[in-house]
Amino acid sequence: MNIWEKMLNVDRRWIFLLIGIACVVPFFNPLGLPILPSAEVMGIYDHIEGLGPDNAIIVSFDFEPGTAAENQPMSVAALRHAFARNIPVYVTSYWPLGQAMAAMAISELTDESLEDYFKYVEWEDWASIRDQGIVDRAGIEEAWTAEGNTLPENARGWVFEGRDIAFLGYLPYFHLVILGMTSSIASQFPTDVSGTPLEEMPIYQDHKSLRDIDLAVTSAGGSACVSWITYGREKIGLPIAFGVTAVMATDYYIFIQSGQIVGQMGGLRGAAEYEVLLKENGYNKGYGKAFIGMDVQNIAHLLIIFLVVLGNIAFFAGGFHKKTKLKGRR
Amino acid sequence: MTETIGLWVAALFTIGIYSFLYKENPLYRLAEHLVIGVSLGYNIAITYTNVIQPKLLDPISSGEQGAWLLLVPAILGLLYITRFFPGVGWLSRYPMAFLMGAGMGVGFPLSMKAQVLRQLEASLIPLYETGMAWDVVIGNVVMVLGTLAALIYFFFSKPHKGLFFGTGSKIGIWVIMIGFGATFGFTVMGRISLLIGRIQFLLGDWLHIIE
Repeated sequence: MNIWEKMLNVDRRWIFLLIGIACVVPFFNPLGLPILPSAEVMGIYDHIEGLGPDNAIIVSFDFEPGTAAENQPMSVAALRHAFARNIPVYVTSYWPLGQAMAAMAISELTDESLEDYFKYVEWEDWASIRDQGIVDRAGIEEAWTAEGNTLPENARGWVFEGRDIAFLGYLPYFHLVILGMTSSIASQFPTDVSGTPLEEMPIYQDHKSLRDIDLAVTSAGGSACVSWITYGREKIGLPIAFGVTAVMATDYYIFIQSGQIVGQMGGLRGAAEYEVLLKENGYNKGYGKAFIGMDVQNIAHLLIIFLVVLGNIAFFAGGFHKKTKLKGRR
Repeated sequence: MTETIGLWVAALFTIGIYSFLYKENPLYRLAEHLVIGVSLGYNIAITYTNVIQPKLLDPISSGEQGAWLLLVPAILGLLYITRFFPGVGWLSRYPMAFLMGAGMGVGFPLSMKAQVLRQLEASLIPLYETGMAWDVVIGNVVMVLGTLAALIYFFFSKPHKGLFFGTGSKIGIWVIMIGFGATFGFTVMGRISLLIGRIQFLLGDWLHIIE
């Protein structure tokens, strides 16, 4: 067996080990390579940037833990953007485990031990303000601070449960749920996951159906995002933004070309681009997990390209393109 | 304390799953079986909490007006279970038939519009217009010709010979291959992203040696 044949018959576990090392080392020596936001990610950012406290969006966690490494950072980024701009958010899930992922994302953004977190005000805690009939966002915050509540130094803002967020969770046959929500959100979700009636929530008063929603961000690990297009966009013209895994990204570019979605975050790269936009525009002091991960991704990709080139050199230099099969284990 | 236990369980099972890369072993098998079992258990619990209890049991037990109508879909749903009993297994066809019929009726018109008609509309674009930027013109030409070439490749009623069908199908193969290449590149990125996510969890959340 000559050197070329040895190279082509290398035990694949050595490749796994090399990739593993390439994915660990950059965490300790970050390169900080720049990431430039693409037009399709900026489309989502600009759309949310054009919204305010009088609008409302849906962030749907349409994925399960298997693709959380890609989908979770983009969902967190979209939620952060909405919270920072006081845009009311309905949080839904296409899959049962997506509800748990949504709960984790909300916990991450409201984690008091982290810098730039959002102070979560539970439904019962601001009941006295609701009893006074105050419903507008600025009025709620003013009344809340007048009661002696001060925003902690490391917090970015308040999130009032029932006004800034309604965590609706999962329902089966979600494509039919989307269809139902085009008439009434409360008909599908009479309560949020804690059991609070939706019709009592300030968020619901001006946003009763998908017709009153200004954007649905679907972070999907499968074809769930197409249901939003089919039953939301095509039925009532609901603006849709996709956050999809890298594997799916090429399949869904067609929806950008056709103008059916306002933008798309593709894989970890798309999430990192959104994090860059949030950082550059002052919505976050640091970068998120996706941006840090992309540094590692770059090194891993370089290694894969190097191995592909090396394999091709061995293949052609060894003259294997003229033979029908290789010797050895292959 | 419960969070710490959770972290350790998640970390050990992550390592267990990745140990398959070396060779198959009992820890990998345990992790593989548990992930299926736990997911199914969670799905059943959340479906009961989010659907069966609030949308079926509570309205019926509280005597809500018209709640008896809910028994119709409930019984229809229960007919699925008849599959386990050979004598009455045929009854399970009724809920399936209902779902297929309703699903087709609800989904077909909107799916056609979203995934076929809108895409057709998006491909019927002018190749050139006065004042159009040159990069947009090139993009439009590539898109229209690429779509036509790929469609010619999948037209099997004529031999792929001559200028139209022969050259067209060859260009179509290239277009499809470029598409596959882009998909493969994204797939590599996706798989590495998942590994990065797990390494971030192991080194960060579990071992606390990175931020």
